[in-house]
Amino acid sequence: MLRELLIIFLSSFAGTLGFAVLLRAPRRTWIPASLVGALAFSVYWSLNAAGLSEVTSIFCGSMLGSLLGQLLARGMKTIATVFNTLAIVAFVPGLGLYRCMELFARGEMEAGARAGIGAMMSIVMIALGIGVGTFLFRAVFVRHRA
Amino acid sequence: MDQKKLMEPLKLAGKLIMENGGETYRVEETVCRMGKAFGLREVESFAVPSGVFVSFQCEDGSIQTSVLRVHRGETNLSCVNEVNEVSREVEAGKLDWQGAWDALKAIEQEADPAPQGIRILASGICAAGFAVMFGGGRLDALLAAAAGMLVQAMNALMERQHLHGLSALLFGSFLATLIPHCARSLYAGFLVEAVAAGALMPMLPGLAMTNAVSDTLRGDMVSGMSHFSQAVLTAGLVAGGALAAATVFRMAGGII
Repeated sequence: MLRELLIIFLSSFAGTLGFAVLLRAPRRTWIPASLVGALAFSVYWSLNAAGLSEVTSIFCGSMLGSLLGQLLARGMKTIATVFNTLAIVAFVPGLGLYRCMELFARGEMEAGARAGIGAMMSIVMIALGIGVGTFLFRAVFVRHRA
Repeated sequence: MDQKKLMEPLKLAGKLIMENGGETYRVEETVCRMGKAFGLREVESFAVPSGVFVSFQCEDGSIQTSVLRVHRGETNLSCVNEVNEVSREVEAGKLDWQGAWDALKAIEQEADPAPQGIRILASGICAAGFAVMFGGGRLDALLAAAAGMLVQAMNALMERQHLHGLSALLFGSFLATLIPHCARSLYAGFLVEAVAAGALMPMLPGLAMTNAVSDTLRGDMVSGMSHFSQAVLTAGLVAGGALAAATVFRMAGGII
């Protein structure tokens, strides 16, 4: 379990780091943003492995990524978009979308539609996670300042 | 001072953010923030992914309005961040309009923060990481890295031939799917699905889909629909490339 978690952490770190470069994020954010992405994805993976449903795990992971990302963005005086984007790239259902496309291409419409809906659900959960994370961050920050 | 001149830095700031993958709400906020800091009245901005509208009232009561067509390029978050910093400095009174104009022109002419060589390497790292996340092993990661780097290198070559964009996407997905299929015919231990999905990951429109949903949830319907259409078109092209690769492989009897 721990070994698997470590592999997931390292691979999601690598995936996010690659995206940080490809999206031309500011260089000083490459490592911290990749750490946030890897941590958020590891939390998702752990929750899912512990028996929580896929969509709930994605929601929790992306919300945590959004919260951490915005904290870091404030600390590093960077736009939140950099961290928010990189915090969730690992959640993007690449395999789900690939399966959907492949199944459609093979003419297996029903299975393809099922895979597509699954991918779409993940995408909606990511967006909701970011939305709730942003709301929580602002609520806590405003209360803290008041 | 001629207030009409103030339109230029506002337009340039909006254009730079939009061209480099910034959100529409950020364009509107930045333009309004800078305009108000310049002392303009009734500053309004309306942004959609393909254009920016800026309007303000001059001291003589006349309304200045400008429409700017934007052609979205590759995402450059460094550029968006720098424009945001300039707008914050303008708001804090550290930069006047001339200073803001010079800073924005410098950002516009800045070299790419990630040269092609680094981007090719990053594609490899990215593909390898995702291949492992999708259940692949070390060999799958290596193959995905090679495929990802090759696709990015081909992209660079096509960009030089002014073929960047949709055709590059189609060809890239073709290559990213064909490579694992061919490799599997040489060694059965490769996990085609993990390698192909890993190599395709930088091309898949998952991020655009997520932005579309985020924009729609925020109430930016036009932007949301625009991102969604872009994502569907991208997914269609990637699917087309992947389908073509699988078909070519099957027609060749699975031995190429």
